[in-house]
Amino acid sequence: MIPGEAHGTIALSASACTSCMICVRECPTWCIELDSHTEQVSEPGARRPKTVNVLDAFRIDFGLCMYCGICVDLCPFDALAWSPEHDLASTTAAGLVHGIEELESTWPSADCAAEAGTPGGDGSPSDS
Amino acid sequence: MTSHGRTDVSPADWLEAMAGLRSEGFVLFDFLTAVDRGATLEVVARIVNPVTRVTAMVWTTLPADAAELASLSDYYLGATWCEREAAEMFGVTFIGLADTRPLLLRASLGKPPMRKSAPLVARAIRDWPGAAQATDDGRQGGNPSRRRQLPPGVPEVFLHDDVNGDVASAELASGDQR
Ligand code: SF4
Ligand code: SF4
Repeated sequence: MIPGEAHGTIALSASACTSCMICVRECPTWCIELDSHTEQVSEPGARRPKTVNVLDAFRIDFGLCMYCGICVDLCPFDALAWSPEHDLASTTAAGLVHGIEELESTWPSADCAAEAGTPGGDGSPSDS
Repeated sequence: MTSHGRTDVSPADWLEAMAGLRSEGFVLFDFLTAVDRGATLEVVARIVNPVTRVTAMVWTTLPADAAELASLSDYYLGATWCEREAAEMFGVTFIGLADTRPLLLRASLGKPPMRKSAPLVARAIRDWPGAAQATDDGRQGGNPSRRRQLPPGVPEVFLHDDVNGDVASAELASGDQR
């Protein structure tokens, strides 16, 4: 049995990600890529609209990733987490590049997160 | 497992220190590798006393441009493998090592790749993903007032302005590795 805190893969909670680029810039193997754009959001009561980053694409190339965990440790918004899911094999190199959908599909369950003492669980960590 | 701690010896005393520890019961060889500190190269060996389960780490410091050290292979046969690896990856010459065939790399590769002076070609031929910036509403190219970010630890020759890599790849192709 694979323990819940196992470092099987890196998972993303896109709703928690602010596109701050910290993980992209700190990843030693340059295997994270991120596309984003800014939007103006008007909030009731606010005098001026707020500029927010909107995440368009997030890719991790698991053909390059060395599972160092630096991205998980440095993300200020707990948008990255270790997941015990480990079934990443692919017959092509391109198949090892995982986008938002694949990275979200491995987001660890609350049980795993509790075992590991790291972000995870139902929904995004920002909800909790 | 308890640790005997770190022992630093001069390269001249390397063999004697290791042989001494071996006779004290540290008969299990675990690993040997090197650390590039720029002007110097450190070599470290970890050995274990399997009875007391105490481990010892022995370090020595070599000049980076004349990295020669006595081979442990007469005392620890298992060290052969690690010394061959340290030789091809870090360019350490092990005096007395009988088997000097490269383990993983082609003999013709040239510069030992784990030396910091060996350029990582992947850094020259790829754009740094960290340079990307959020595109502003309707405008391409992001906010021009923001300072350009540079990737950490990449030699300047690789960062030749917007043609990231062209200069470096040309140099690498001509064999002029710095
Ligand atoms: S685990 Fe390490 S290598 Fe993999 S994406 Fe994160 S920072 Fe990069
Ligand atoms: S460090 Fe976290 S919030 Fe910032 S871009 Fe990476 S995943 Fe998103």
